[in-house]
Amino acid sequence: MESVFTFLFKYRPLLFEEGDVVFQPPLPAVLLLLVVAVAIALVAWTYRRPMAKARRTDRIALAAVRVAAFAVLFFCLLRPALVLSSVVPQQNYLGILIDDSRSMRIADDGGEPRSSFVAESFAEPDAALLKALESRFQLRFFRFSSQADRLEAVQDLAFDGGRTTIAPALDRVREELGALPLSGVVLVTDGADVGADLPDDGTSALSESLLALRAAGVPVFPIGIGRESYDRDVELSRVSAPREVLKGTSLVVDLMVAQTGYSGERVTVLVEDAGRIVGSEEIELPRAGEPTPVRVQFTAEESGPRRFRFRVPAQDGERVLENNEQEALIHVRDVREKILYFEGEPRFEVAFLRRAVAADSNLQVVTLQRTADSKFMRLDVDSATELFSGFPTTREELFSYRALILGSIEASHFTHEQLRMIAEFVSERGGSLLMLGGRHAFAEGGYAGTPVADALPVSLDPRFSRDTTFFDTVRVSLTRAGAAQPALRIAASDRETAERWRSLPEPTTYNRVGALKAGAVALLNGDGRQTGEQPVLAWQRYGRGQAFALPVQDTWIWQMHADIPLEDQTHETFWRQLMRWLVSDVPQPVVAAVASDHVAPGDPIRITADVSDDRFTKVNDGRVLARVTGPDGSQQEVPMSWTVGRDGEYHATATAAGPGLYTVAVTAERDGRVLRGSPVYAWAEERRDEFFGSQMRAPLLRRIADETGGRFYTAANAAALAEDIAYTGRGATVQETRDLWDMPILFIALVGLLGVEWVYRRWRGLA
Amino acid sequence: MRPSLSRPLRSALPAAAVLLLAGSALRGAGSRVEARNGDDPARHAFAFTRGIYSESGRGWGRSWAIDYPKADRQFLTVLRRLTILDAYDSEHAVALDDPELRRYPFVYMLEVGDMALTPEESAGLRSYLLSGGFAFIDDFWGTWQWQNFAQEMRRVLPEYPIVDLPLDHPIFSSFYRIEEILQVPSINNIRRGRTWEQDGYDPFVRAVFDDTGRLMMLINGNTDLGDAWEWAEQPDYPLKYSTFAYQMGANAIVYAMSH
Repeated sequence: MESVFTFLFKYRPLLFEEGDVVFQPPLPAVLLLLVVAVAIALVAWTYRRPMAKARRTDRIALAAVRVAAFAVLFFCLLRPALVLSSVVPQQNYLGILIDDSRSMRIADDGGEPRSSFVAESFAEPDAALLKALESRFQLRFFRFSSQADRLEAVQDLAFDGGRTTIAPALDRVREELGALPLSGVVLVTDGADVGADLPDDGTSALSESLLALRAAGVPVFPIGIGRESYDRDVELSRVSAPREVLKGTSLVVDLMVAQTGYSGERVTVLVEDAGRIVGSEEIELPRAGEPTPVRVQFTAEESGPRRFRFRVPAQDGERVLENNEQEALIHVRDVREKILYFEGEPRFEVAFLRRAVAADSNLQVVTLQRTADSKFMRLDVDSATELFSGFPTTREELFSYRALILGSIEASHFTHEQLRMIAEFVSERGGSLLMLGGRHAFAEGGYAGTPVADALPVSLDPRFSRDTTFFDTVRVSLTRAGAAQPALRIAASDRETAERWRSLPEPTTYNRVGALKAGAVALLNGDGRQTGEQPVLAWQRYGRGQAFALPVQDTWIWQMHADIPLEDQTHETFWRQLMRWLVSDVPQPVVAAVASDHVAPGDPIRITADVSDDRFTKVNDGRVLARVTGPDGSQQEVPMSWTVGRDGEYHATATAAGPGLYTVAVTAERDGRVLRGSPVYAWAEERRDEFFGSQMRAPLLRRIADETGGRFYTAANAAALAEDIAYTGRGATVQETRDLWDMPILFIALVGLLGVEWVYRRWRGLA
Repeated sequence: MRPSLSRPLRSALPAAAVLLLAGSALRGAGSRVEARNGDDPARHAFAFTRGIYSESGRGWGRSWAIDYPKADRQFLTVLRRLTILDAYDSEHAVALDDPELRRYPFVYMLEVGDMALTPEESAGLRSYLLSGGFAFIDDFWGTWQWQNFAQEMRRVLPEYPIVDLPLDHPIFSSFYRIEEILQVPSINNIRRGRTWEQDGYDPFVRAVFDDTGRLMMLINGNTDLGDAWEWAEQPDYPLKYSTFAYQMGANAIVYAMSH
């Protein structure tokens, strides 16, 4: 379209947009007007008289055509011209910013890599675009990926940068060339800037950069390299996995899958741990362009920091394979987590629950069971003194456990201080509380109105206090929230899990629990024969921890019932997974974290630590040290400083010098006592972000152009760049006048009008 | 206790006859015996459940019901006083081949010397034990009865041996601390001045464990704990035997409900 315009009007539309049309008549305007008037009068006089065969309308039509032809001639006689502000050759500078990231290697344009445009247009001395630019501007080349640098020779580009960040690159050019007469910045990129996807609230880095360029009057001319969409591609765009799990945990990880060209096809998502396939999930690919969540399940069998790789094997015709995989660094902890189970009476739930997790070497269910008035049995204690005096009476003792299970034990067994301590075990220590159903649990156990009731996810009705007459059988079903919870997955697939829950034998309950509290969710519902629906498993966050309610008393029926085959593992799986959930994410007194567990070599590792004492009271005056061990065994000891803004929070920064695994161990010392946190890890390698969402991002590049007053180009129309910048750029300019009287459109119009007159005459037989 | 024509039992003959007839009728008509007290054993944390089984022609045809229901009731009365167990307070019996048995993870079986399980009962007991049930065996005497019972158990659990249970096993300290295995005599024998029957001179406690080391079956041989429960109120029955019998029963139940 633009070429047609240029053919007709001699110049490209941009020049008309940028310039002003003026008239430079060779004769005085009055004289020209006189000539026009005479010509029109002559026409009018010629067609005034009746002609043979000619009707009045013929004469008017012919006169109009003739007048129009004279008007075109008159326009030419006025000598129209285009006045443009053109940069003064070699007086202005032009920054050329070239994307040096790995996505430029993607060969999505007829098999040629994106970088070939750079080579063809800027690397060869006689390249047309380069010559056109050099003839007008002083060129300054920069390369950029995660950071920007001056580029001495275009041949030095390696296209191995791990990440494209446009904003800092633009800032760099503006700062370096800002003092010079700068006509603009040419930005050669595919625009695959992941950071630019962040919601633009006016404060993002790119918005600020563009604002600064606009204020400085520096237009940006992006040249978008690559295709805006791929014909055939599968992309695993995101992985959501916990950073830390217990060894042997069955993990369910969410992935986002997008594709083009493979709608409806079935592919397998593989999970690998050190090259060994540990899980797989066959999925049906979603519709083109619609990222869809996919869940894969696998078990973390090997302990230590593990890099799990999730990948979709290369599909037929797929060009970009680097975006078919994602990695997650997960710390698989091989420790034994202690859970305190306090049971108020002998009942089979104790035996079956303990048996269900007995084979799990990472769980230690310390059981305190009342067998007679004031008589307790202790099971799986670590020492002769553990729980010797019954239920813990101090925070240090109770808070040494990661989770607490309360069975059928009435609230009046505890002192008020103990009840408050149990609630604080959840809210302050960050532990998990699970209350089981029973004759002396929930409202029936007198918990309504106690601090423990505050922590529970269900409300308790004081009218039922100590009322042990209620008894009901409930049919269990999995809720929508429960279906999303890996701990409740008791079969191979989501559908089978839901069916399995529905088919389980019905447990019984003594407890009438009230409505769910705000923020609580029911994971399992029970359809009671007497009471209708009530939660069978409910959950909520309470302060730093989480609280669960399981108001049934005999889940052992899921193991023992005659309908359950001997080899069935539902009961064991349920309890094992639930117990592992109880102890997951339960903090230690010192909790270290890294801002990102994947960094690029040379990037900072930002470390934070949350420091408390044994009573889980925040410590602001501790001596906190982060010891960072690099892949080569070298150690950095980085003192951590209190952030002041939050109690107990410390921060520090180390550097990932080279690629590999970095182990961060934080210790806190106070009053001669040393507390250690669980180590955290960061993996340093060149980032592969470039290959995700790696299609050319035309909207982003257009936005950059629009907001700075530049123009957006693609490789196809980049040839016009030099001229366009010459007329639209900033810097030292000079006025330039270009004739328009010889525009082809005028000649065509004149010939056309005369032709029309001739055809008309022939048609009407007037010639 | 094996019924005989000794004087104490003669006095109880009418009641025993009624009971045995009732038991026999129930065995033929169905597979459960529950007290008609309006209560439901499933509503309680524990029901003292007897296993109803078949026996060879040498037995009484109702060996499972020996001492029933008096022993059960007296034992439960004492158990409820000693512990805080929410126990169903009446007798309760279920056949080994009845799926209902799987609702009661503790089963008491006695007089197993003449046990001759049907294939269905054998399969029922096997699945009961392997799915998590606990069997408490009592009241059989001498070499022949032991061999018969051991042979039956080899049919039920061929891959799991019967082993002696040492006194340092946790079951001997789960509620009471038991430091010695006493031979508990039937009331008839104690009146004759002896504690043994047939050639069962030495009491023993043996067990069967599953693959994970869980105790599935506790076998009290050459002893009659049930009689000690049944006749504990008799002034001529020595307290030390009934005390031991109650201790063993309480320990086994507390252990089974916690391990």
